[in-house]
Amino acid sequence: MEIKKLMFVTKFEDLGYEAVQALLSLRKASLEHIVFMNVIEREKVAMQRGVGYKKEEAVRLKEAANIRFIDWAERLFEQGMEVGVYIQIGSLEGEVAKAVRKEEADLVVIGRSHKTAMEQFYSGSTVTGIIRRVAVPVLVYKPASESPFSLGKPFERPLLATDWSPASLRAIDYLLPLKPLIQEVSVVHVADEKEIEGSSAMQAQQIRKDTKRRLEELCARFEAAGIAARAHVYVGEPEPEIDKAARECQATMVVMGTSAKMGWVERFIGSTPREIAEKSPFPTLLIPPERR
Amino acid sequence: MAKKVLTVDDDPDVRLFTTTVLEENGYVPVEAGNGEEGLQMIKSEHPDLVILDVLMPRQSGIRLYRELKTSKALANVKIIILSGIAKKTFLRSQQALTEFGESPVPEPDFYLEKPVEADVLADTIRKAIG
Repeated sequence: MEIKKLMFVTKFEDLGYEAVQALLSLRKASLEHIVFMNVIEREKVAMQRGVGYKKEEAVRLKEAANIRFIDWAERLFEQGMEVGVYIQIGSLEGEVAKAVRKEEADLVVIGRSHKTAMEQFYSGSTVTGIIRRVAVPVLVYKPASESPFSLGKPFERPLLATDWSPASLRAIDYLLPLKPLIQEVSVVHVADEKEIEGSSAMQAQQIRKDTKRRLEELCARFEAAGIAARAHVYVGEPEPEIDKAARECQATMVVMGTSAKMGWVERFIGSTPREIAEKSPFPTLLIPPERR
Repeated sequence: MAKKVLTVDDDPDVRLFTTTVLEENGYVPVEAGNGEEGLQMIKSEHPDLVILDVLMPRQSGIRLYRELKTSKALANVKIIILSGIAKKTFLRSQQALTEFGESPVPEPDFYLEKPVEADVLADTIRKAIG
């Protein structure tokens, strides 16, 4: 699973050229092509009573995006990169999904959702909306100012948070080709507090030992490929513990698998990958389940 | 017989503009929306001239230009680059690709930066293919 082509989806206020620069480290692996995308939400230019379709506004927004992208593209072309651009009017999730299929992109990079909690409840999260529609990993990028350890090298110290799901195990195959960029991988599992509740100290230690052994097996896969890896067991609620682990391991990114949960189920019972992607200060790479 | 000119540009407004200029000047216009489609049409339509954008989905004009100029069969296709990307960037980009080990390619004979006036485009087409 190489990253040859990435699709960089931006509203400009959420992700700027500094994020593109940080992602250029992927050239050491296999990155050759960046496709920029800006989606102008339909409501901004839609038909309104007494106003009609705001064509001039649509042209203005498209041209503003085009000018930014030309500037970014010039810098990348001059470094020998291949660059493409999409500026579309429509729904973000739908347009991104269409462009990813058309371009056969290997990775989608987006900023965190700007929807309020109430908007997310009714219409779902942008991040999970995209990941449900595309079969490729989604990197939710956070500005360097928010990420304690990013330092412009997001793939240097990834933290793989596994719940043993097929998607989180698939993340290993995704990280292995990134060897030239990775210094060390932290492989983390957060055990449920309920698992050790009421157990004796011996039983709790046994759970920790068994979990660590399973994690060591995953680490062995990285080490066999020449990537240093370290296993860590945490106990408690997944979101704060993953965040804590990322800080303690000085991670530059959190990597997680996602489930194929239906949107409405997720809105009611929540989702750890979505919470981490949208609330944690660490860039979050979400690996989708394998599509049949 | 009227000469055939292929416009390769993802912007339908630009394609409409060049098509109008071409028709008004007695040429036969054909169109493609990206570099990949453009290459297929060059092979199937054998245009006398290609008006080529740079920044496009699927495949950029930089790559398509390189493919044409390094192909024995297509190296002689006349090309006008018509783009918002500066000529300086186009040249640096080709230079960077050559430095990465790809074959050197000649500079484009004609390079117009967008936006371009209809008469300037028509003059350039005439200079390229008569």
